[in-house]
Amino acid sequence: MSNLEDELRRALRREEPPADFADRVLAQLNQPAAPSWWERFSVLMKPPRLQWVAVTLMVSILLPTAALRYRREQQIRAEGERAKEQLLIAVHVAGSRLHHAQRKVLESGRMETRL
Amino acid sequence: MKILKVLTVCVLVSAAAYGQALDLKNLEKLSDKAKNVTDITLDGSLLKFAAKFLSNDDPDQAKVKKLVAELKGIYVRTYEFESEGEYTESDLAPIRSQLRSGWSRIVGVHSKKERDNTEIYLKSAGAAEPGGLAIVCANPTELVVVNIVGKIDLDELSELGGNLGVPKLDLEKSKPSKPESKKDND
Repeated sequence: MSNLEDELRRALRREEPPADFADRVLAQLNQPAAPSWWERFSVLMKPPRLQWVAVTLMVSILLPTAALRYRREQQIRAEGERAKEQLLIAVHVAGSRLHHAQRKVLESGRMETRL
Repeated sequence: MKILKVLTVCVLVSAAAYGQALDLKNLEKLSDKAKNVTDITLDGSLLKFAAKFLSNDDPDQAKVKKLVAELKGIYVRTYEFESEGEYTESDLAPIRSQLRSGWSRIVGVHSKKERDNTEIYLKSAGAAEPGGLAIVCANPTELVVVNIVGKIDLDELSELGGNLGVPKLDLEKSKPSKPESKKDND
């Protein structure tokens, strides 16, 4: 029991603060308060920072949009080139078969078609 | 109401254009047997899209662009087989049956020696019909069916057949009065 009392007495005994404690507390109190997020944000919304914010925003929106648009155009171009190739093959097949028929008719020695 | 009328006209015009195309579905089963297959389907919108990519600077492509300007569709099926007898006349019967109504056969070339049969059919353009061309070439190891929907200039098409990769033949162009001829070479 006496041990516990001794420990309590030791723990609760008065201790003198360090010599510079009061100065440090006063120095902390005199420091300006840290700006809130809104204050930081409103600073960005004032010139000249506003211009940089606007530029950054525009670039971050326009760049991906332009990239997507470019990619889409590339896809359309590739599809168009494929369709063109198919068209050229189709015309080639049709034309060459007409040619073939024309040649056969001519080979027979008489030309009696409307070709 | 006006929009409804316009839509109805569009649907009817599309249906008329689609109706001109031959039904080539029955040929699909030959794809499994053939060693080489060309299956090209260019309907109205795709044809116009493809034509946009043709260069005006290339004379051949410029000609193709002009040729396809009034077309509504191009359908090509070619099948090359390893050996004879992999397709029969019955495979062509549905197509021939479609060609019996409304089409005129303008050329029929049958070569006994080469066992080659080439037929060219035309469908005249009417008020609601865009007209068209059908080519059926059949030999023992190859089958070619071409269907072109729309107004087509045969001379220009034949000329392009000689230009686009096929050596141009110096053929005399003549237009005899007989609408159809059937020839047996040999």
